[in-house]
Amino acid sequence: MRQYALRRLSYLPLIIVVVSLITFFTLRLPWATDPVIALSTQNTTLDQEQAIREDLGLDKPVYQQFVIWVGDMVTGDLGKTFRSKQPVWPEVQRRLPVNIEILVLSVFFTQLIGISLGVLSAVKQNSAPDYGARFFAVFGQSIPGFFLLIMLIVLPSIWWNYSAPVGGHVSIFKDPWDNLRLYLPPTLLLSIGGAAGVLRVTRSTLLEVYRQDYMRTARAKGLASRDVLYHAMRNSMIPLVTILSCEITALFFGSLILEQIFSLNGLGQFLFISAATSDFPVVQFLVLYTAIIVMSMNLLIDLSYALFDPRIKYS
Amino acid sequence: MATMEGSSALEMGWTAYKRPGFGRRMARLARQQPAGVFGLIVLSVFVFLGIFGPAITPYDPKELSVCEPLGGPSLGHLFGCNRNGQDVLSRVIAGARISLMISSAAVFIGAGAGAFLGVLSGYAGRWVDYLIQRSGEAYAAFPALVLFFLLRTAFGPGIKTIVIAIAIGALFGGNRILRGATIIERNMVYVEAARSVGCSGPRIFFRHVIINLLPLTVVLMSGALGGAILAESGLAFLGLGVAPGTPSWGIDMSGDNISVARLGYWHVVVFPGIAISLVVLAANLLGDSLRDIWDPRLRR
Repeated sequence: MRQYALRRLSYLPLIIVVVSLITFFTLRLPWATDPVIALSTQNTTLDQEQAIREDLGLDKPVYQQFVIWVGDMVTGDLGKTFRSKQPVWPEVQRRLPVNIEILVLSVFFTQLIGISLGVLSAVKQNSAPDYGARFFAVFGQSIPGFFLLIMLIVLPSIWWNYSAPVGGHVSIFKDPWDNLRLYLPPTLLLSIGGAAGVLRVTRSTLLEVYRQDYMRTARAKGLASRDVLYHAMRNSMIPLVTILSCEITALFFGSLILEQIFSLNGLGQFLFISAATSDFPVVQFLVLYTAIIVMSMNLLIDLSYALFDPRIKYS
Repeated sequence: MATMEGSSALEMGWTAYKRPGFGRRMARLARQQPAGVFGLIVLSVFVFLGIFGPAITPYDPKELSVCEPLGGPSLGHLFGCNRNGQDVLSRVIAGARISLMISSAAVFIGAGAGAFLGVLSGYAGRWVDYLIQRSGEAYAAFPALVLFFLLRTAFGPGIKTIVIAIAIGALFGGNRILRGATIIERNMVYVEAARSVGCSGPRIFFRHVIINLLPLTVVLMSGALGGAILAESGLAFLGLGVAPGTPSWGIDMSGDNISVARLGYWHVVVFPGIAISLVVLAANLLGDSLRDIWDPRLRR
């Protein structure tokens, strides 16, 4: 186990190197958008353009820029944005709470709704609740998240003349009520799509497990159905944990949509704007940052398999 | 074994199996797979609208002031009008083309290439398998949205970028399933037979193995279509899709249209939203059904 974890950790730097190479050179392909053009106006003269280029360090050969960038990163200098000349890291830090909250709440609701409906659906197979849950699964996977979020803004406004709070992130520690009023409803709706997927996986794995011999044994020896379910759940955790990682990567998209509709200034918006203006330092940093976070999460998820199934040996 | 004189099947009173007619077969299919048939019908309607849309829209979807701006649904304008006085029904019909075109192209390229990689991975084994599977895992660690922004910065906005991004998203979707199926297929007797009569490795691969895995590939592709349509409309909604002004479901639900809808003109955003949900629902139902028919092993 420890060896496996160490080996997986040792892949991390390798993947980081590959990701940074790809990111850095894709942005600087000859036909890519030139950040200098994004920064100049109609009245900018060629000399001024050249000055901007030198100021941003884009006049040097690409490999030299790469060496400088890697050197800066290694020494802890995460760069300054092209546009406002602000250091990147404080800008990221400022926006991070928005995304952490969206991520935590959405994952929580996705698992809660998906697993409970999935268990209900499997335990009461072919009953009315089962059909209801399957109906939810089919529709939940088909309705776009942004449509639900728009309806969240539009319908209460038409029906009850209530406008859902938009924008203005308040820390949950400072004002829990205002914070949850802003975040709870949209994250709940955003998690419907993911919950539908979790429901389907929970249902099918549980049904699969229920067919196993040891489940018959458990019933035969007279265990209460609650204890039987406990046995079954433990053995259906692995697929659930696996799709958790897909969910998290999918949430990056949902998060940006939520930020956009509810005018929240999160990392999604930051990447959005920086990509539109070819703000290389920000794009480079955010790509690396998300890659590292997602990979670490995946590693934790892989290691957690042993927790649920002691038969799993890492090699 | 005793011989029976003159005992052909007919003389013994057997009747030959008669294949039921087309209508009867379709009726049976509809009974066994109602959801799938519903999906097929709805999807066909949308494909029809996508192809012939411009010819059957009641008004020109781009023309301004064909009706009173923000007018509600009425007999003349079933879905009402948006704030530019454009007919919402016409725009919804015209939006089918761009949405289906981008998503089906992306699924065809992405899932097609992905299927090829999956089969190759299972058939070739060794380092090819290792390389493909590890890149699949590395890719899974990479949020598709981040990749899209990278592509967009590099290649600029446009349909090509969107198609490539969604295609890459579909690339490793069915990869592992096909890899598993190929490993089973590789050990079948017919592969050994082909090898024993002297077929070369590539010939067996292209002429026999791939052909046998084609149905499974189609099933996986149909399963990917719904997700691709959702991705396309989401990107259009964010303003990252096709050029503004183009009739597109995602674009018609974004920006000022939301603020207008809040004031009571819900029809502006609701009808494009229903169109997306309906076509994705149809694609998902059809995909599930095809999977059940062709490969019950995959049922989840």
